[in-house]
Amino acid sequence: MDYGINDKVAIVSGGSRGIGRAIAEALLGEGAFVMISARTEVTLAAAAVELDALAPGRVAAVAADMTDPDGVQAVVDATRARFGPVSIAVSNVIGHVIDSKKEGDGPGAGNFASMPAAEYRREFQHLFVSAWALAHACIPDMRAQRWGRICNIGSGVAREPATELPHVLPNVVRPAVAGMHRILAARLAGDGITVNNILTGSILTDRNLSYWNWLAGETGSTFEAVTAGFHSRIPLRRQGKPEEMAALVAFLCSQRAARITGQSIPVDGGITRHL
Amino acid sequence: MDLGITGRSALVVGPDDELGAACRRALAAEGVRLATSIGDGEVDILVAHSAAGGHPSLLDVQAAAELHQSWNVVVDTLDLFRAALPAMASRGWGRFVFVGAAGSRSLDAIDAIDEELDAITSLAMRAAQKVLAAEAGPANVTANSVLRGGEATADEVAAAVTFLCSEGAGYITGVSIDVAGGVGSAVY
Repeated sequence: MDYGINDKVAIVSGGSRGIGRAIAEALLGEGAFVMISARTEVTLAAAAVELDALAPGRVAAVAADMTDPDGVQAVVDATRARFGPVSIAVSNVIGHVIDSKKEGDGPGAGNFASMPAAEYRREFQHLFVSAWALAHACIPDMRAQRWGRICNIGSGVAREPATELPHVLPNVVRPAVAGMHRILAARLAGDGITVNNILTGSILTDRNLSYWNWLAGETGSTFEAVTAGFHSRIPLRRQGKPEEMAALVAFLCSQRAARITGQSIPVDGGITRHL
Repeated sequence: MDLGITGRSALVVGPDDELGAACRRALAAEGVRLATSIGDGEVDILVAHSAAGGHPSLLDVQAAAELHQSWNVVVDTLDLFRAALPAMASRGWGRFVFVGAAGSRSLDAIDAIDEELDAITSLAMRAAQKVLAAEAGPANVTANSVLRGGEATADEVAAAVTFLCSEGAGYITGVSIDVAGGVGSAVY
């Protein structure tokens, strides 16, 4: 199927690894120009080299902290300078880690009864401000073209908080991020810009593996036991793959998906129970 | 109906407005004592509400600080809830009620663009109520939200708030009840 986004210019944050990397690859596969961004320069540069081999001359990389609006603006400016006006913005920023020794790079751990106020502010900066800043910086280009795709990599907890896990921070902030995208979709529909949010389930990434290992240690269990217990609750009985996230994102960014906006769509193997 | 909360102690926080006054009045009419702070842990009922409107619309926000200004109200409220929880849990009875925006359920209930951020922060508060409901449920502490919209009067909102604080509402937790006159066409 022709997705109709040949030569469109895209930005993917968190584009060096895991889900972001898979999204960059999928968009390159559809003929887009892709700017990837991440904080760690070495990993980012290596990803850019590998992606460039797949689509020579169509990928660029700028290291930046995408939770900082100044970092976002620098990436958007660099993208315009290199490829031209931005048409596709994929926000893919993870929540903050409070203590990686304890959390294994998973979401900042803690329950409601123990979570200090400052951590809610940091999580808001990571998940909400980052997505707002990327949209804010790209909307002028999209309006000028009367065409745009804004896509946020959110989480299933935006619809159903995972109260069985000590993840009060994403549980509280993710729904606000989903709401922001719903409202932006309504406000931008007349400009030919769609805005959607992915409700990510458990996807097999390095970070995800690290989280399961941490959880196994924390619960005195084994990696196999905790993942088997979790998989048994997923109707498809397995975790997702990054390219299965990228498949939906590429579709939502396509010309074909022009009538889909304001939606939060799960890629989670069927685990959410909400009707 | 006897709501069964005579002698309980309640703290109503938020702006000094008609809604806050209506909640205090309705609770007092049920024989609830009104506290002015968390104090030394005597609060059984904590009601938090926020003012509607007065925010920049999403597309007019120019700096992250404007977003944080709205978010800080959420953070301060959650911090207060967290502070009140241990005493409620130790007594084995408690009620948290958050009064938020029906716009967090349906775009139809966002009356003006200066209420967009209310809808967004209400979503976060409602999610927090879900988490709090799960954590505090074993201690017989409930956490619910009332979503105001349409032409709801302060007294109509306060009536729902007071019901959720009642003994009879003890099996209702983690839910949001709209007091919005039927505005919004979302099925759930």
